[in-house]
Amino acid sequence: MRTYDDTFSGQKIYPGKGKLYVRGDSKIFRFQNGKTESLFLQRKNPRRIAWTTLYRRQHKKGISEEIAKKRTRRTVKHQRAIVGASLDVIKERRAQRPEARSAARQAAISEGKEKKAAAESKKKMEKAKSAAAGARGQTSRIVGKQGAKGAPMKAAAKSR
Amino acid sequence: MVNCIDNSGAAIVECVKVLRMKRHAKVGDRIIVVVQKQRSFGPESGPGGSVSISAANNVRRGDIRHAVVVRTAKKTQRPDGSVVKFDDNACVLINKGGEPIGSRLNGIVGSELRDKQWSKILSLAPMHL
Repeated sequence: MRTYDDTFSGQKIYPGKGKLYVRGDSKIFRFQNGKTESLFLQRKNPRRIAWTTLYRRQHKKGISEEIAKKRTRRTVKHQRAIVGASLDVIKERRAQRPEARSAARQAAISEGKEKKAAAESKKKMEKAKSAAAGARGQTSRIVGKQGAKGAPMKAAAKSR
Repeated sequence: MVNCIDNSGAAIVECVKVLRMKRHAKVGDRIIVVVQKQRSFGPESGPGGSVSISAANNVRRGDIRHAVVVRTAKKTQRPDGSVVKFDDNACVLINKGGEPIGSRLNGIVGSELRDKQWSKILSLAPMHL
């Protein structure tokens, strides 16, 4: 069953109901009843007449409740285990007093720093050692193979 | 007074007789008309100008012609219960044999023409309702 919408009020027009009006510029208008037809022919604006769909849509009538209901969804926080830490570990950490936790953290940081410093000093020592060894073996000037051999002897002239 | 919506050369015609009818004419009825005003082909003679001009020469003011009503401002009720109303009364000129004089129509025509077998007029029309 084909139903049409009223061009003025937006009501449904079922078969056998309503009027069809074709204007001089061959635009088609459908009216559900004499009320809408009359208002249209009086050149009333459907946006200013309170019971039409256009007005109700413009002034957001009768749709606010549905929108409000839709918006109530929220994100929920949830705890679970991740890569390095199981759920128990995370919970234990969370249960600790903040002072203890910060102290532990400080200790861990200082330890890490010490280790790093030690590693650095070790590296430095090694570098110095290797540098000293290199200095012992090497001459002051780098000389090529040809240079080490010395200048070639001048061939003695045997004939004129 | 009836508007003539084809390119036969007539713009406004006057109905003098409704054929086979003792009352007013409806969409699809054949009428006899007198041409009251000729259409000036100034702006409209762009495409298909030669055809329209030759047709325009046929129809002059004061001519008596046959025509078919294609639109009525009076509401008409269809068999399916719908009611249709146009903005004006309009017709298309035809010759004695029932063929349209013009080669083009501008504007919607009523679909009652189909029931009365005016298929040539329907095929010329841009749209029927």
